Amino acid sequence: MRRGIFAFWLFIGLMAVVPAFVQNAFVLRIVTELFMWIGLAITWDVMAGYAGYLNFGHGAFFGAGAYTTAILMMRCGWTFAATLPVAGLLAGLAALLAGIPTLRLKGAYFAIATWALALAIQQLALVLDITGGPDGMRLPPFLHPVFFFYVMLAVAAVTFLLLWLLLERASFGLKLKAIREDEAGAMALGLNPARIKIQAFVLSAVPAGVLGGIYAFWITFIDPASVLADIITDQAMVMAVFGGLGTLLGPVIGAIVVFSFKTLFWAYLADYQVLYLIILGVVIALTVVFLPNGIWGTLTGQIQARNALIKGMAIDPAQGRHPEQGADSND
Amino acid sequence: MTEPILRVDGVVKAFGGLHAVNDVSFEVGKGMIVGLIGPNGAGKTTIFNVISGYYAPTRGRVFFKGSDISGLPPYALAKMGIGRTFQVVKPFPGLSVLENVMVASLCRHPRKHDARRHAWDILEFTGLGPRAHDAAASLTLPGRKRLEISKALALEPQLLLLDEVVAGLNPTEADRTIELILKLRDQGISILIVEHIMRVIMNISDQVVVLNFGQQIALGKPVEVVKDPVVIEAYLGEEAA
Amino acid sequence: MLLLPQALVDGLLIGGIYITIAIGFSLAYGVMHIIDFAVGEWIMLGAFLGLYLSQWTQVEPLLLLPVVFVVFAVLGYLFQPVIHRVLSGKKGNPLLMALVFTFGLAIAFKGLGLTVFGFFSRSIPSAMAADSFTFVRGDFFVTIPVIRLIGLAYAIAVTLALSWILKRTDFGLAVQALAQNKEAAGLMGISAKRTNSWVYGIYVGISAMSGVLIGCMFSISAQMGGKYTVFSFFVVVLAGMGFLAGVPWAAFLLGMVQSFFLIYFDPGYTLLAVFIILYAVLLISPKGLFGKGV
Ligand SMILES: Nc1ncnc2c1ncn2[C@@H]1O[C@H](COP(=O)(O)OP(=O)(O)OP(=O)(O)O)[C@@H](O)[C@H]1O
Ligand SMILES: [Mg+2]
Repeated sequence: MRRGIFAFWLFIGLMAVVPAFVQNAFVLRIVTELFMWIGLAITWDVMAGYAGYLNFGHGAFFGAGAYTTAILMMRCGWTFAATLPVAGLLAGLAALLAGIPTLRLKGAYFAIATWALALAIQQLALVLDITGGPDGMRLPPFLHPVFFFYVMLAVAAVTFLLLWLLLERASFGLKLKAIREDEAGAMALGLNPARIKIQAFVLSAVPAGVLGGIYAFWITFIDPASVLADIITDQAMVMAVFGGLGTLLGPVIGAIVVFSFKTLFWAYLADYQVLYLIILGVVIALTVVFLPNGIWGTLTGQIQARNALIKGMAIDPAQGRHPEQGADSND
Repeated sequence: MTEPILRVDGVVKAFGGLHAVNDVSFEVGKGMIVGLIGPNGAGKTTIFNVISGYYAPTRGRVFFKGSDISGLPPYALAKMGIGRTFQVVKPFPGLSVLENVMVASLCRHPRKHDARRHAWDILEFTGLGPRAHDAAASLTLPGRKRLEISKALALEPQLLLLDEVVAGLNPTEADRTIELILKLRDQGISILIVEHIMRVIMNISDQVVVLNFGQQIALGKPVEVVKDPVVIEAYLGEEAA
Repeated sequence: MLLLPQALVDGLLIGGIYITIAIGFSLAYGVMHIIDFAVGEWIMLGAFLGLYLSQWTQVEPLLLLPVVFVVFAVLGYLFQPVIHRVLSGKKGNPLLMALVFTFGLAIAFKGLGLTVFGFFSRSIPSAMAADSFTFVRGDFFVTIPVIRLIGLAYAIAVTLALSWILKRTDFGLAVQALAQNKEAAGLMGISAKRTNSWVYGIYVGISAMSGVLIGCMFSISAQMGGKYTVFSFFVVVLAGMGFLAGVPWAAFLLGMVQSFFLIYFDPGYTLLAVFIILYAVLLISPKGLFGKGV
């Protein structure tokens, strides 16, 4: 655990000095966006990997945050910094209101409901005046790539830290996993699933909203087809699934791999942008079939299995443990 | 007279037209073991589900330490001190044995660190210690039943509801479980136990409640109940069928 | 008011098509408990196969329906074992993993469609597309395009054929047994694997075939899948997932919603209305309008 903390701060420290060395705007932009996707992937995994609820509408929180910042800045004259907390709170409030009824649904029903709700919100943004309808909204350009680099980094890092504290260090993650495994059974052990699920839903929504707010000001133009598109959820989902559900590092690694791949692909093969969709889709499908634990989950599973094997042999080979079963434990 | 830990008062539970539990009343005194028996489908599990909050009673009331708990949700009852096992065992298959128990330990020990230590103690006590790091899915039936008990115990309950925790075990394992149950009783935990194996019920219960088709057909000391012609008929009727 | 008969007739005619994009889906859900996010993409791929085949052979596209059905039924049949593998996985929650899997498929198919067919909208030229009947009585009038009438006839034919298969054939009985109880069906000697493959094949075949008809009536494009996935979900959820008898009613309702928004309100609000109704029904009665879903 201490090594993990060290690695975390090392990573943050390394990232923090990147702008001092890299002046290339393209690279800065890419890394900034990577932070955003890390944030989206890990928050999506709170519901999917930990609680076992596939939220097909996660992107709506992101979009809600983006529109909050855009509307507050353009229509109410707020400064950017002041809009971010509101973007997060509003996304959280949306999660609370939508979650209370929606989280009663299970499995596929929940997936379809969140998906329908997110698409409804996209349609709503298309017809409302305040959002600018299909024309979207333009924000005042603020051309400081380094500024956005640090803001995204900070929000992604704080999100990661918060989730790590709650899900891995404190007991909240274990409670969520118990609910994922057996909701009715968890009730007998003193857990109130409805409340815990709502807490998780809000927890996953707030950072997504803040990230959306930053994105709006950074890109300076938003419309329903960009910030409310289902591709946002799709991509976060691919990253999390590919990296490994139910872990915190899995989605981070998944985000790094998938996003790097996407960037290289778009940079060098610009003519074949739709090919990216094929590859994205095939990667999800293949991951589900062959690596259901994702790359990180599979890797740690194997390490755990080996450790268990070594430990089993060192301590008491006759104890009748089955080392290979260590691989089943998924954290 | 002191208030019993559990008082079931005229409880009815109907599923549509079927009265799975029909007007059942009994008490569990402090530190007592009460056996609940009856042929298959008699309504034993259903009354457990009513007591532990999974079903609200259609009529009648349930009192825990004197206060009316009918209709309270299971998690509230778990917090109040009612632990239960499930006849169809409910492990969290993807979690380790230790984590399974930790979930329950969190109820009284909210800090993860304390919960882990507490869960270890429970596992040592129930004899699952060596399997602590294995996935719950890898346990065989006896192990799963033991895990059920461990989880219920980790709630530090005052009342323990055990639904067929002995059934399906081989004689050695059965004896170990019975020993465990008696130990718990000696610690002051009140126990309501469902079991088909008469030998078990008759040996350890202070009181026996007999259900048949949802009706309570007998209530009393084990020795009296086995002599009760109505009970004999209910059981013989089943065996003859 | 004058347009009311037209709205009703349109709703009925469009609704017919929605039966066929949902009935196979509902069957597959009832038997395999699979929610296929790629349903719209199967429809899209079927439509394009119909388009290319008819351009290539110069045959009336409606006559090619059986060909499209067979091609995609075989594809679905061959594809099902992969889904079976996901669904019977031991790690995590297989049902959710299957959802993610079909979601990945949908994205891949869409990318495939965009790569091969491009971004443009097309329509499938059918000889029937131009004709229509017009009925006038007093101030009221109704126009019925022949192609839509054919669509309704097709929908009825598919529905009847499917219900005949389910009720009258050994295969149909096996399917019903599987839908009701997996273990018992296994004891009766029904091979779940084979039956599931056939069911999935039939579902994919029907969906693809419906794509061709959709292409004869409306425009098709590589991006059309999402919209039809929504419609398919809408119908299946409102009907009650896995409850086939509810499908026609839910489909007609969807047809009505669409035609009324087109004629009386702003068609731009149609999708919004569809999503909101779908969401509301899920919350109020997740088992569908009849409460018979599984
Ligand atoms: N949720 C339910 N809905 C409808 N009927 C139910 C439900 N739960 C139980 N029943 C019915 O209630 C009756 C009592 O069932 P219960 O499980 O309580 O019996 P039991 O005494 O525990 O039997 P066993 O010894 O087999 O465990 C049975 O007829 C059963 O089919
Ligand atoms: Mg029972």
